[in-house]
Amino acid sequence: MIQVQAFLPELWLVSAAFLVIIADLFQKSTSSKTVVKGIAVLGVVGALLSLCCISGCGSCPISACCSAVAGNVPTAFGGFLKTDALSVFFKVIILLATLFTLLISFRFFKANPTPYLTEFIAVLLFSAAGASALTSAQEIITLYVALETLTISSYLLASFMKKDKASNEAGMKYLLLGAFSSALLLFGFSYLYGFTGTTVISEIGKVLATQVASPLLTLSVIMIVAGLAFKISLAPFHMWTPDVYEGAPTPVTAFLSVASKTAGFAAFVRLFWVGLSVPALQPTWIALFAVLAVISIILGNLEALPQRNIKRLMAYSSIAQAGYISTGFLAGGQLGLTAVLFYMFVYLFANMGVFLAITIVAAKTGSEQIEDYAGMWKRSPLIGIMLLVGLLSLAGVPPFAGFSGKWYLFGAAISKGYTWIALVGMIFSVVSLYYYLQVARQALISAPKDDSPIELSWVENAVLVICVLFIVTLGFWPTPIMQIAQTAATSLFN
Amino acid sequence: MFSVLATILVPFAVSFCLFHSVAQGPNLLPVLSTFILAPFLAALLVMIAPEKFARWISLGAASFVLGLGVKLFLCYQTAVSGFQFVEEIPWLKNLGISYILGVDGMSTLMVLLVTCVYFAGALISWNISLRRKEYFVLFSLLVSGVAGAYESLDLFFFFLFYEFAVLPMYLLVGIWGTGRKEYAAMKLTVYLLAGSAFMLVGFLAIYFTSNVHTFDIRALSDLSATGLSVSFQNTWFPLLFVGFGVISALFPFHTWSPDGYGSAPTAASMLHAGVLKSLGGYSIIRVALPLMPDGAKHWLPYLAILALINMLYAAIVALKQTDFKYVIAYSSVSHCGTILFGICTLEAAGLNGAVIQTFSHGIVAAMTFALVGTVYGKAHTRELAKLGGLSKCMPVLGALFVAAAMANVGLPGLSGFVGEFLVFLGSYQSGFRGGFSIFQALFPIGVLAIVLTAIYYLRLVQMVFFGPVKDPHLNEEVKDGSFIEILPIAFLLIVSLLVGLYPKPFVDMSNLSIAPLIDHIGGFK
Repeated sequence: MIQVQAFLPELWLVSAAFLVIIADLFQKSTSSKTVVKGIAVLGVVGALLSLCCISGCGSCPISACCSAVAGNVPTAFGGFLKTDALSVFFKVIILLATLFTLLISFRFFKANPTPYLTEFIAVLLFSAAGASALTSAQEIITLYVALETLTISSYLLASFMKKDKASNEAGMKYLLLGAFSSALLLFGFSYLYGFTGTTVISEIGKVLATQVASPLLTLSVIMIVAGLAFKISLAPFHMWTPDVYEGAPTPVTAFLSVASKTAGFAAFVRLFWVGLSVPALQPTWIALFAVLAVISIILGNLEALPQRNIKRLMAYSSIAQAGYISTGFLAGGQLGLTAVLFYMFVYLFANMGVFLAITIVAAKTGSEQIEDYAGMWKRSPLIGIMLLVGLLSLAGVPPFAGFSGKWYLFGAAISKGYTWIALVGMIFSVVSLYYYLQVARQALISAPKDDSPIELSWVENAVLVICVLFIVTLGFWPTPIMQIAQTAATSLFN
Repeated sequence: MFSVLATILVPFAVSFCLFHSVAQGPNLLPVLSTFILAPFLAALLVMIAPEKFARWISLGAASFVLGLGVKLFLCYQTAVSGFQFVEEIPWLKNLGISYILGVDGMSTLMVLLVTCVYFAGALISWNISLRRKEYFVLFSLLVSGVAGAYESLDLFFFFLFYEFAVLPMYLLVGIWGTGRKEYAAMKLTVYLLAGSAFMLVGFLAIYFTSNVHTFDIRALSDLSATGLSVSFQNTWFPLLFVGFGVISALFPFHTWSPDGYGSAPTAASMLHAGVLKSLGGYSIIRVALPLMPDGAKHWLPYLAILALINMLYAAIVALKQTDFKYVIAYSSVSHCGTILFGICTLEAAGLNGAVIQTFSHGIVAAMTFALVGTVYGKAHTRELAKLGGLSKCMPVLGALFVAAAMANVGLPGLSGFVGEFLVFLGSYQSGFRGGFSIFQALFPIGVLAIVLTAIYYLRLVQMVFFGPVKDPHLNEEVKDGSFIEILPIAFLLIVSLLVGLYPKPFVDMSNLSIAPLIDHIGGFK
């Protein structure tokens, strides 16, 4: 039986994407395309609200999770799509990220006018639909198709500024390396299918549980890890990240850094903690992740130090962040996955707030250099505060939410005996403080080179204030989100 | 002047009357949370109020908190001892985190110290004009964090409040500092957070290794329940000690401290040297010793050598400084060495000495930094080569500085003497009462530091305030301190005198925490 609730958010997104394209036909190409923007925002908000209906109880996402745990899990396509509490949590992050991306892109394309705004929005919505579907996929082919929907749309988005060489380079680089990693992933999947004779993840787990480790099986795991690690930019598969983040339009960078990464982790969690969590393989891939996490933390943070371009800095920072999150992921269990979910949620607000600030500043000054953030405290205090709060949350400094997040991530790692990884993580968090503070220093301490104030629209004001409040409140009082995350993490093991 | 006095006295009186000891029934306010919330609310209020009210709000809040601090000291029931005024709210049950505040004798003293320095700092910042609003917001937030750290009985919240205090410090030094301020601010922040990286991992390791599954310090202090093995303690005690030690400028991690204080604005130096730095020694006594007594016994004799280097090395470096404020900064590092040395003795006298020395150093360092800041504000230079014969044009400040110098040196009658005397008594006992013989060797070397302190402080007094006039032009322009500048310094001097002349209530208070701790650990024997 097909329960439409299982893919309701995707339905909203895809319909909105088509509607946007149709509505565009009735709008003048020179107009500000208010209708198109409105439909897109409505589509995403509708998708978010539809998550509440999944459970059919109550009207808030909290109750959706609860009832999903209670066993009322909507399923479709013979169990290939299943929206449990874990997918709901991931979907909330992805959809919020899409909403933020839309807002950022409105500002971005006001400063960099393009006749193809509609196409951008439509592709973005398709991409979000792919990411969203990925979180419910229970089967490797579905998972792969959803992932490709996400990434192929991302290639288009990254190279969207046609006349801009950097954007073209970003798109091309992303496409070539992305296609290679997808092929690797698919190759890994094919071995997995060959060994087990099934593509359903939970079935794979059952079949593999009886098998002993073999070199070919290990090889397939390595290929899968490599293929997916590319998507979340774990070192040493991170080479594309700085160039793509720098060259792509800022809203796309924001989208890649949050939505794409969340989808990648969703795939990792489902695939590894359900399908490959067997005695024959687990030690291998946990060791693999330990190495990747540590390399990412070290490389990401060290390479971020000399950066002068803020988007490039955020690229290296996002590599390090992927390393931190992997620490919780490899610890696994309820504690580890709760930590991952909580951290991703916090990461969403910190990164999106910072990218919104970057877009607004770039729209005014036309620069993405860190030294051009001098004197933000005078030009727009809110942007200054957003940069301070967001970046220090990423660095994991109390009282911001990133601190609670790291406390849980490293706590989970230590609980499984990976104290050394936690120690490396903490030491390099201090290193990261140096480059995050360089931005905060320019924004809050240095004297402005140019005094002219930066105007914000009311929506931007509201969004920045919400981001700051969320980050500060979650730092002091993470309890509610932690509980939801815990429910979501538990649903994986039921 | 009248309105200033009113702003001080009214909130002081209000808060003083507002609460009473727990034995007399429940209080209207959650007392300990008020120490955190009052500065925090003051910060919010400053944020929304017009700029001209900023300093008044800040001073009012500081007086209010001072009243609370004094009352807390008087209301703490010495007959009952243990943790009092405890507030407990579960935070994250599945991770054993609760918001627990509580004070025992030692932390009551520390809270009193915070409130005294907060009050003096608010007064000394009276004439800040650059970005005044932001200054007072950050200043109040800083106090909020420090107060929370001293009151927390939960490791998570201890950590959270501590780091909460570091961040405003970064901005205070970076924006309102002098000299190489941005470099100093960055260095200070990175050092302090690097130290805390070890703390965080250590706390988590304790949580996951122990059998009690809580971050509650009271529960974790029961070794038979936590079951932390000796090898675990031996691994983690030195790491935690160093992590905490960085806050207290433990050699060789002390270099952030002179640069930081050299550059920080006066009130920030006062708060940092006075209260934030003391947090290191305090948390060793509060966390590291009771949680890991076996590790402590194994490592402290060796760590004592580091503390000793702190005392001597910083004193020698202070002798060679050419900047007025750097001398004081190194003197503060040297005094922190005394505190750590006292802890390392593991004797009741030594630990009590460390606590009293922490209190005394907090007051005296704040006073000295206030003096340096005031002199700098008038002379516009801190170079010893240019300052000379100042006591002729600023007799009151000169006299106060002599008093401050004597308190630093440890002249009997002032607070510095009590702490240092107890520390050396402790180290003597530790060495000659059949304990570790290493203290026999260390003890006399430690006393040498007092001599050095006397030398560089007398040199300072002689050079700056009495020696020949080096720059006549400068001396003509310099005036004595105004009422509002003298007031905080005089206030701190009175507190120092109080401790020096009648130390009994303070030492008794500290001993309420130390005596059970020594019973719990059992000393080196």
